[in-house]
Amino acid sequence: MCDYYFDGKGKAFRPMIVVLMARACNIHHNNSREVQASQRSVAIIAEMIHTASLVHDDVIDDANSRRGKMTVNQIWGERKAVLAGDFILSAASVALARIGNTTIISVLTQVIEDLVRGEFLQLGSKENENERFAHYLEKTFKKTASLIANSCKAVSILGCPDPKVHEIAYQYGRNVGIAFQLIDDVLDFTSCADRLGKPTAADLKLGLATGPVLFACRQFPEMNAMIMRRFSKPGDVERARKYVLQSDGVQQTTYLAQRYCHEATREISKLRPSPEREALIQLTEMVLLRDK
Amino acid sequence: MWGALLRRGGRGAGGLRGLASGGPPWSQVVSEAEKIVGYPTSFMSLRCLLSDELSNIAMQVRKLVGTKHPLLDTARGFVYDSRNNLQMRGLVVLLISKAAGPSTEELSFQHNMVSGIYSSQRSLAEITELIHTAFLVHRGIVNIGELKSCDGPLKDMQFGNKMAVLSGDFLLANACTSLAQLQNTKVVELISSAIGDLVQGIYYENSKSPENCLTDDISISTWKEQVFLSHSALLAKSCQAAMELAKHSAEIQDMAFQYGKHMSMSHKLHSDLQPFVKESSSDTMAFSLNSAPAVLHQEFLGREAWIKQIREAQGRGNIMDYKKLQEAIKAGKGVTSAIDLCRCHGNNALAALEIFPPSEARAALANIVYAVTRFP
Repeated sequence: MCDYYFDGKGKAFRPMIVVLMARACNIHHNNSREVQASQRSVAIIAEMIHTASLVHDDVIDDANSRRGKMTVNQIWGERKAVLAGDFILSAASVALARIGNTTIISVLTQVIEDLVRGEFLQLGSKENENERFAHYLEKTFKKTASLIANSCKAVSILGCPDPKVHEIAYQYGRNVGIAFQLIDDVLDFTSCADRLGKPTAADLKLGLATGPVLFACRQFPEMNAMIMRRFSKPGDVERARKYVLQSDGVQQTTYLAQRYCHEATREISKLRPSPEREALIQLTEMVLLRDK
Repeated sequence: MWGALLRRGGRGAGGLRGLASGGPPWSQVVSEAEKIVGYPTSFMSLRCLLSDELSNIAMQVRKLVGTKHPLLDTARGFVYDSRNNLQMRGLVVLLISKAAGPSTEELSFQHNMVSGIYSSQRSLAEITELIHTAFLVHRGIVNIGELKSCDGPLKDMQFGNKMAVLSGDFLLANACTSLAQLQNTKVVELISSAIGDLVQGIYYENSKSPENCLTDDISISTWKEQVFLSHSALLAKSCQAAMELAKHSAEIQDMAFQYGKHMSMSHKLHSDLQPFVKESSSDTMAFSLNSAPAVLHQEFLGREAWIKQIREAQGRGNIMDYKKLQEAIKAGKGVTSAIDLCRCHGNNALAALEIFPPSEARAALANIVYAVTRFP
């Protein structure tokens, strides 16, 4: 059951960033072309933590499909799905402990705490429009970007003793992570279910107001009431979807994602040039252009 | 009187008593032991209880009142049962920390000790309780696909699941954070592996499907392996980790592990035996057909004869006559050999304690063993 999502069909976006970051930091530090075993472990642990959180999220949201397959809870039931998530997390913690570095343990444990807190943020909503956007960005950081930011930071710590480099790695991961999620939220409106591997307008159905909705709400204040009742009335989801597509919510969110990507590029450019650094810069563009 | 017993141990007069003489009742053992470790053991730290997240959960869980979601029972258990069983694990970690004392190599950081226990060991006790509680919550997830109409509205159950996953994850995340703060990679590895054991143990519990097969065809040795994972591994590894935090030798670490393992095996056997040894058996408790006496009964009787007994007790309408089944098990050798097994683990736990010098804390650990090996 635990192998189910580790079938190589995911995008493996996170481990890829982490390994590239490891190489970029190693080259920056002493021109080393090697990736340390401990850095590779961090990449694996990052993907494990991510998968564990997906399994639990799918139970929480009662989701049916993910990565084009049925979800674990659909096949094996919720009880086992939750245990599977816990098991992957415990295996990740054991692997983390075996790296043998207490700083790395603290950095990656922060991710676990952020993931849970992000899930709690998603439960609540703010009445005030400005607060609502800040709340949305904070949730986005905790649920998505923290994992990328902190695993980038972890490999930089293992590769290079300079705290400035650790900050660059963290900021790159944070900005790319937020951009990645913003685009994810856009795709929930613009892509079709086949490409995405999961149903569309899923966020609205869960009562969640993501970036495109929040921007659309500025043009169509009548959406406020729908956001507050979490799209719970019949027809709310369809109406909200229509409003979003009529507004410039999608463009605005994409523009915001671009700004985060520029910031990520600006950060990573402070490292010594290397093919891996260039790949990380190109990756920010791929994040913006992806359609699945 | 029992207080006197504890004090006698405290003076370190003699070795540990054997099991035959019985001991004080459980609640007394716990309250005496709490005095030894310095304060009543409330492990769900204030930091955690007062957090926005948990008060948010508490508010949401209120919406579940009136539904049949198991999270409600778990939450009720925190309120009503919090003094005795729930926090036993944390208490044992503190007692064994105190019984072992400071290691001779680490005299330098003795000033960190309060009531003979390092602050890191107190955190560990709290972590152990957080993990245990998290899994009490995660055990109570329901399978949405298996619900019947008598379970009430589907929406309530989905909501209950959502709260159960979230609150369990919240407790686990807090445990991970505190664990990281201990700054000891060996302890992180031990406790993480204990979480893995616990998950596997609970997974076995879950894979028993009552519909198509009433009992698992398991031998007592399989039963022991599964119960070790689901009931003993966490405490055994926490006891070992408490020794590691004080830099005690591998031998002491191993004995602490053995105590935690054997004591919790006795504890589980003791509770499995309750339906069979209670004197006032006017109303029969339902019991698990995979509890130790039943598994041992099957072992003596052979699987086919046991299935036959179950079928006979089932009668018409598929309603199990537990009274009849209980009598059948009592007539065999299952109960006595479960008691023997319980005492055997109890003796192993006491033997492991011999490595520690006599002290109040060691006597309290022994009293816990006496309490869980005592039968009317």
